[in-house]
Amino acid sequence: MSNVVEITDQNFEEEVLKSDLPTEVDFWAPWCGPCMAVSPIYDKLAEEYDNFKFCKINVDENPETATKYQVMSIPMQMFFSDGDKVDELLGAVPEQIIRSKVGEVIQKFPTDERGRLKVILSSWIEHNKQDSEKFKKWLQKAQELKNYAVYSSLLKATGEMEKANESLSQLLREL
Amino acid sequence: MENLVIAGSGPAGLTAAIYSARADLSPLVFEGPGPGGQLTVSHEVGNYPGLEQPLSGMELMSRFRKQAEGFGTRFESAAVERVANDDNILKLQAGDKIVETRALIIATGAQARRLPIPSEKKFYGRGISGCATCDGFFYRDKKVIVVGGGNVAMQDAVFLTRFASKVTVVHRREYLRADPIEVQIAKNNAKIEWMIPYIVEEILGNDLVTGARLKNTESGETVQLECEGIFAAIGHEPKTEVFKNVVETDEKGFIVVQPGSTKTSTDGVFACGDVCDHEYKQAVVAAGQGCMAAMEAERYLGIRE
Repeated sequence: MSNVVEITDQNFEEEVLKSDLPTEVDFWAPWCGPCMAVSPIYDKLAEEYDNFKFCKINVDENPETATKYQVMSIPMQMFFSDGDKVDELLGAVPEQIIRSKVGEVIQKFPTDERGRLKVILSSWIEHNKQDSEKFKKWLQKAQELKNYAVYSSLLKATGEMEKANESLSQLLREL
Repeated sequence: MENLVIAGSGPAGLTAAIYSARADLSPLVFEGPGPGGQLTVSHEVGNYPGLEQPLSGMELMSRFRKQAEGFGTRFESAAVERVANDDNILKLQAGDKIVETRALIIATGAQARRLPIPSEKKFYGRGISGCATCDGFFYRDKKVIVVGGGNVAMQDAVFLTRFASKVTVVHRREYLRADPIEVQIAKNNAKIEWMIPYIVEEILGNDLVTGARLKNTESGETVQLECEGIFAAIGHEPKTEVFKNVVETDEKGFIVVQPGSTKTSTDGVFACGDVCDHEYKQAVVAAGQGCMAAMEAERYLGIRE
């Protein structure tokens, strides 16, 4: 029995977007030779990693998710963290490359509370100052993580952006 | 120290594995990217002897593998990345493994050639595909282009008519290299249109492919064609890059073997299948050469005179 979680259009949000772990999704189909050739690699990796979630979705039976993420070529592996697609690997690539990609994603998107807050804060400071939707999501996450110092700083940030960025940068250094 | 390492897991590599495992050489196969080789993307194999009913390439190759495994072949999924020849001992690096072996069979095959257009890379997986059987599904009721004039191009075009609303075959010259039977099947298909003699000069689109600019290779005239998918079937090139420092290759990158043999320019190194096959590129030919390589390696290792 494989540890790779079978995903459907129905449970994609629950299992992937709301996953607490960084997650890999293998878009595959039974008629795709290269897909069948790489799937044992994912079975093997899923046995090894306990800080990473491996999923697969049959595009033939679940076309909605494939369409949503504009999958036009399989095997396609997409990587998700905190509800966002963060990376992808196209084609039947060797195990070594999959391993290093998984390692990269784990490093970029840590699973411990401090690590996740770091990611949230640095993304906000560096890239997404204007994206209020994203910001609200992160606010909620800080709240869920019960880190009230961060939560209140984030709240302040919704008011005065310049000041808030300063204090967030400070907080990031302290984390 | 290994007796025999086989690089590649297509019909050539796995036949070499079957023969050498039965000869008690306990071969180690590095499967490389795309275990099972090029045949695994073939939707239906009808010309391999012994198949009363056609099989998918995937199924056929999984039978090869089981047979090789049954006789004691060991498998590693990594690809051979580096080779050095140290006084007739071959040192290989594959992934995080370093292996020494007395004999090496190179059966890494060939890979599909990609369209020589700068934007091809950007659109790969966004409308450009190298595998019609894998990706045809995503082009239901869409228009697609197949580039090429060989058997694979004809088969891909016919296969894609199951999904696409229109398939246009684009080929650079009047002559089609494909077998007459394959051409006939494609010509009889009402969903297939022909743009000959044209090449794809540019891929159009922002994020996804929306069309292609075609150029007439005789008049130079260009036309734009709307399409959401482009499938290239313009031949293959041998995957021999990592072996060039240990064996002689020709100007096209094929490994040079002695006529009627799989022996390369280096003792103890043998080559079989599409890495040295200019001409046929057939699973049954690759398998035959794999058998030759195993027997020649066995003789080289002196286990049987």
